[in-house]
Amino acid sequence: MSIRYQLIVGFSFLILIFTVVFFVNQRLSREVLTNTIYLNNSEAVIRNSNALHKEIIEMQSGFRGYLLTNQESFLQPYYDGLKSVPLLLTEQMQLLSTQTQKLKLDSIIKLHKEWISYSDSLISTKKDTLPEAGFRFKKLFDTKLKMEVGKKLNDQITAMFFTLDNYEYKLRLERRDVLQNSISQTRRISIVLTVICILISFAMGFYFLRTITGRISKMVRFSERISGGEFISLPDTKKDEMTRLVNSLNQMSETLSTTFKELKKKNDELDQFAYVVSHDLKTPLRGINNIVNWVEEDHPDQITPELAKSLTLIKGRIERMGKMINGLLEYARIGRVKKQIKTFDLNELLLELKELIIPSKGNLIIEKKLPWIKAEKIRLEQVFSNLISNAIKYNDKENPEIKISFEDKGDEYMFCVKDNGPGIEKQYLDKIFLIFQTLKERDAFESTGVGLAIVKKIVEDNNGKINVDSELGKGSAFYFTWPKQK
Amino acid sequence: MKKTVLLIEDDYLDIESVKRAFKKLNVDCDLHVAHNGADGLALLTGSASQNTRITPDIIILDINMPKMSGIEFLRIVKNYYSFKNIKIFILTTSMEEYDKFSTETLGIDGYIIKPLSFTAPVSPETAKFIDALLN
Repeated sequence: MSIRYQLIVGFSFLILIFTVVFFVNQRLSREVLTNTIYLNNSEAVIRNSNALHKEIIEMQSGFRGYLLTNQESFLQPYYDGLKSVPLLLTEQMQLLSTQTQKLKLDSIIKLHKEWISYSDSLISTKKDTLPEAGFRFKKLFDTKLKMEVGKKLNDQITAMFFTLDNYEYKLRLERRDVLQNSISQTRRISIVLTVICILISFAMGFYFLRTITGRISKMVRFSERISGGEFISLPDTKKDEMTRLVNSLNQMSETLSTTFKELKKKNDELDQFAYVVSHDLKTPLRGINNIVNWVEEDHPDQITPELAKSLTLIKGRIERMGKMINGLLEYARIGRVKKQIKTFDLNELLLELKELIIPSKGNLIIEKKLPWIKAEKIRLEQVFSNLISNAIKYNDKENPEIKISFEDKGDEYMFCVKDNGPGIEKQYLDKIFLIFQTLKERDAFESTGVGLAIVKKIVEDNNGKINVDSELGKGSAFYFTWPKQK
Repeated sequence: MKKTVLLIEDDYLDIESVKRAFKKLNVDCDLHVAHNGADGLALLTGSASQNTRITPDIIILDINMPKMSGIEFLRIVKNYYSFKNIKIFILTTSMEEYDKFSTETLGIDGYIIKPLSFTAPVSPETAKFIDALLN
């Protein structure tokens, strides 16, 4: 499965869980809200119920006061009640939410109406000034009031209010419990889902860290080894984007490996070729040399001055050719035969070279004490001796001076051979390391043009680099690096 | 006593230079020349004709030759008990060529490097050859 697909699936899953958490919480907040509305409503119901009850009780007290005292002022609350109670009842009917409660209110209304008609009849007969009214009142008083008709109605109303209020309280308690449960349930769900989310996130993070970062660092190490010349391949069985990267790295490594092998083969063939050719070239050259010598030996009396001159020229050319072939052989031999590697003191080596190469008027200065080095001694000696010989050979000063310095660069040393010679023109700088290239006319200056080519090949064969820094009239400085051997 | 020397060498110039070197050294020997290993073997065994069969004291052997190289020649000669007293010297172009073999593996007595020069100073190897030739 591709990493992109895995990421999409993973994140979609997380988003899904968060959506669930969101909706659960949403539902809870809706419930809380409805409950708040209900509570408000319920409070209003209770408040209304109390107000109603109070009005009704006041009407009853006013009615009783009037009957006892015959004072009309007692009837004021009664009349007020007649106006306000119907309003309160209508309001209450709207507030009540359940059918049972509405039924209770209906019976309160009914009872109240009964009481009104009862009280109304008593009040109106009492107010009546007609003579038979006293009789009627007496009769009503005896049959109704004394029989406690009003009181019974009042008791019923009070009881009804009591049940109505109680029911409302009970309902409220029930709803609070439900809400409480709902809150704790939501909290539980939220916590569980959040924990799951966190765990999944961690797992995903860890997984992707392992599949991506782990493998990237593996690949980094892998490509470092490739750049170090180790053409290995990295196994990877997962089938995702990284596998494609790994595969292309593997392919690169393989291509490099084949190319390098081919290159090495070609180089080896070339070296072999140069070696064989130069070796075989020596035979006829030696023959020619022999013949010239024999001509001189066999016919000493027939050699005219002109002939002697020509013979000398031939010998000179034979010698040069011989040197060139030897140089070519020497050049081809570098890297073919590994010489013995040992640890030695470079100061000692340079002092030996100084004695061998530097003329009495010249000087070789070692600017800083050179290190002990582990290397093919013969090769490093060749490098120094060729560079120093060149510096002396081409020097135009009366007192040639050569300075040797070095720098420790950690993995390798950088050496510098600097002279006070004539310097090299910029345009020739890249030519000097080519084989058989010389900057002087061969007849004027005997040189085969292999010295620097050999130096370059030795340095590069030992994984070093060489370059030259030179200014006309100010001398040249040859820099080369030599990796440290473990 | 006059020594018998067999020179197995294909290059005229090298034969000539051996002859001249001997002359310069005033070596008086019976010099026979074969132009390749096969011819040299024929001379030793007399397989060409009984009259030309020789028993040399010293063989000077070139390595690179047509028909039968010096190395092949040596491999055969070393199998004959009757040739065990012949001193054999390799005539080689260079130390590098000689480096490929060694005196021990070839079972020879020494080597001389071309071009031949018996004028002083000579190398220890050449001195060994001159000793064998003169004494």
